[in-house]
Amino acid sequence: MLYDQSLPIRDNVRQSHQAALDQIASPGTWFTAAERLAILSEARRAKQCSLCAKRKQAISPYIVDGHHESVTNLSTDAIEVIHRVITDSGRLTERWFIDMTSRDLTAEKYIEIIGVVATSIIIDSYSVALDCELAAPGQPAPGEPSKQNNHQVFDGGAWVPMLDAPQQASETGLPTQPNIGRAMGLVPSAIALFFPVMRSHYSLSDIELGISREQIELLASRVSSHNQCFY
Amino acid sequence: MLLRRSGEKSNQSFHLEGITAIDAQGVGIKNEQILLEIADAVYAGDPVELKAVRLKGTQLLSAEAMVDAIGVAAGFNGITKIANATGIPLDESTESQTVDMRRTTQIDDYAEARKSQLWDQHKKPDQP
Repeated sequence: MLYDQSLPIRDNVRQSHQAALDQIASPGTWFTAAERLAILSEARRAKQCSLCAKRKQAISPYIVDGHHESVTNLSTDAIEVIHRVITDSGRLTERWFIDMTSRDLTAEKYIEIIGVVATSIIIDSYSVALDCELAAPGQPAPGEPSKQNNHQVFDGGAWVPMLDAPQQASETGLPTQPNIGRAMGLVPSAIALFFPVMRSHYSLSDIELGISREQIELLASRVSSHNQCFY
Repeated sequence: MLLRRSGEKSNQSFHLEGITAIDAQGVGIKNEQILLEIADAVYAGDPVELKAVRLKGTQLLSAEAMVDAIGVAAGFNGITKIANATGIPLDESTESQTVDMRRTTQIDDYAEARKSQLWDQHKKPDQP
């Protein structure tokens, strides 16, 4: 069982974290289970990387050269993506994205990495904040990645093709399928990994928490500001 | 964007500049100081700072509310990475409805085009 039972952690949060860890330890669309676990390990290592620390301190993040302190055999570009997203996502640019996806890392693989990394950030931020051990994933499950392309995508103005889904206005003022839900449309399994975890922490409606809607949005706004998130 | 919408729904007016700046006026939300401290600590991930806000949060809110607040902050620490890493634009309706608010809070500085303008020009000539 994840997390100390004495903490008032909601059951759906515990369950969503465990399910996500199990999914990470399973074959994905473009990566094997072992590779996905390597992405998780690399994400957990990035905060101690000296190069990332130097870049974070630099006025311009792209002028500091060097090698990341890596703990895996992932490709150089994959490691760069994981470390930058973990430590300095607010200063990512389209030019950097194009460079990262111009060699062996396709946009699809990039999205799968982002899905694992973003999911791990939620789980690990939560664990650290509650003074719990980082949750250990299981052993890598056997099997090969499905390598299934999703053709239901379109150019919606993002760096990557977005999920082509119906757009209707909801009572929140956002469309029923906002862009953040469509951003990983190239790899539906990344959406299926990330959003159940996210929805156990936050939802635009139908979520029972011990703080008010305004308090929820205040927290969300502040963290988004720290991450220099325009969306 | 959704905080502005929450205020409209509950007929309240919030001082949104307080979110992106150190602002003595505050935002105008109950227990906002401890909530902002929780958000800051979750983002920073410093164990000492986190221990202090857990204690204070439990006293001022409740243990359950403090854990829920940490959960929201952790969730947004993850989802913002997806937005930042994919360069998604604002949803059409949000873009048209938030022009003034984005100017007031200076959120436009976080737009992808602005980031490219700021950071790409500093790349070395041989960098892609």
